Amino acid sequence: MSSSRRSRSRQSGVPRITDDQLAHLVSKLQHLIPELRRSRSDKVAASKVLQETCDYIRSLRREVDDLSDRLSELLASTDMDSEQAAIMRSLLM
Amino acid sequence: MHVLACAVLCLSLLGPHTPFLLTLLSPYIFISSFFVSDSLSRICSTSTKGSMRRPCDSLKREFLKKWMTGLQSCSSSNKDMSILERKKAIKLSADVAMACARNGATCWSRALIAAGAHSGHSNKRIRSKKILKRSCRIRTRRKRRSKCAAQVGRASWISVGKRTRILKSLIPGGESMNEASLVEETLDYITYLRAQVDGMRSLVDASELCRLGKWKWKLAGTVEACMYK
Repeated sequence: MSSSRRSRSRQSGVPRITDDQLAHLVSKLQHLIPELRRSRSDKVAASKVLQETCDYIRSLRREVDDLSDRLSELLASTDMDSEQAAIMRSLLM
Repeated sequence: MHVLACAVLCLSLLGPHTPFLLTLLSPYIFISSFFVSDSLSRICSTSTKGSMRRPCDSLKREFLKKWMTGLQSCSSSNKDMSILERKKAIKLSADVAMACARNGATCWSRALIAAGAHSGHSNKRIRSKKILKRSCRIRTRRKRRSKCAAQVGRASWISVGKRTRILKSLIPGGESMNEASLVEETLDYITYLRAQVDGMRSLVDASELCRLGKWKWKLAGTVEACMYK
């Protein structure tokens, strides 16, 4: 593991997060990301941390997309005459 | 200043019809501002159960405040927007609201505000297509890599670099970040993204209840139930 880290440091042009930064990221992320919270181990592979982070961000953005879908369909489908539609329009439109 | 950026962005989405629509909408905006401020004051009022407010609740409130301002400004009538266009406008206004809630204090929030200000131009469409292509390539690359790792059981030393690049592509403005700031920006972005999801979910759930006729004028109770369920 240490030899691979040394060879990594000699590589140029490859963006790399330092070990200290990674430890900082892991400790904060373990509170935020369910997948990492479950592992509960002190040593989590760097690539796994980054992968879980990326997956989590993607899932949050998918949720935003889905909620935007639902809201746009709601606004499009509201009946023109209903009192409820008037309330919604006054709040959202 | 950032609320102004929000308003400018949202007005720009209305395009050439802006002056007419503003005139048409002005009574609704005036009336609805009372609804908004009333409903928001109820939304913002803390549950009496807990004495300490969690920080994420305040982020959610901040996001909701700014998002509802943006929604009111940008959405006008059903005729002018298709469902897809409205969805894009909703999503854009949500992203700008999230960035404004951060007051442009981070790289990702400034990048989102800048991206929002440039929306509607043809460049954005081209950029969106490039981003989409890039994401598809990244997904394919991940599949290939998982097969190699299973077969060979090595090359984890290159995966950190590659995954760092993927993370950079996911954070707004990430391409220009160095590794030192990427970590802090990521943590900050995730926090605000969660607040955005929570806020949007609250509003959508409340709207669906409203549409089903189950939402009476007791706004505080229903919205509070949606927020704290």
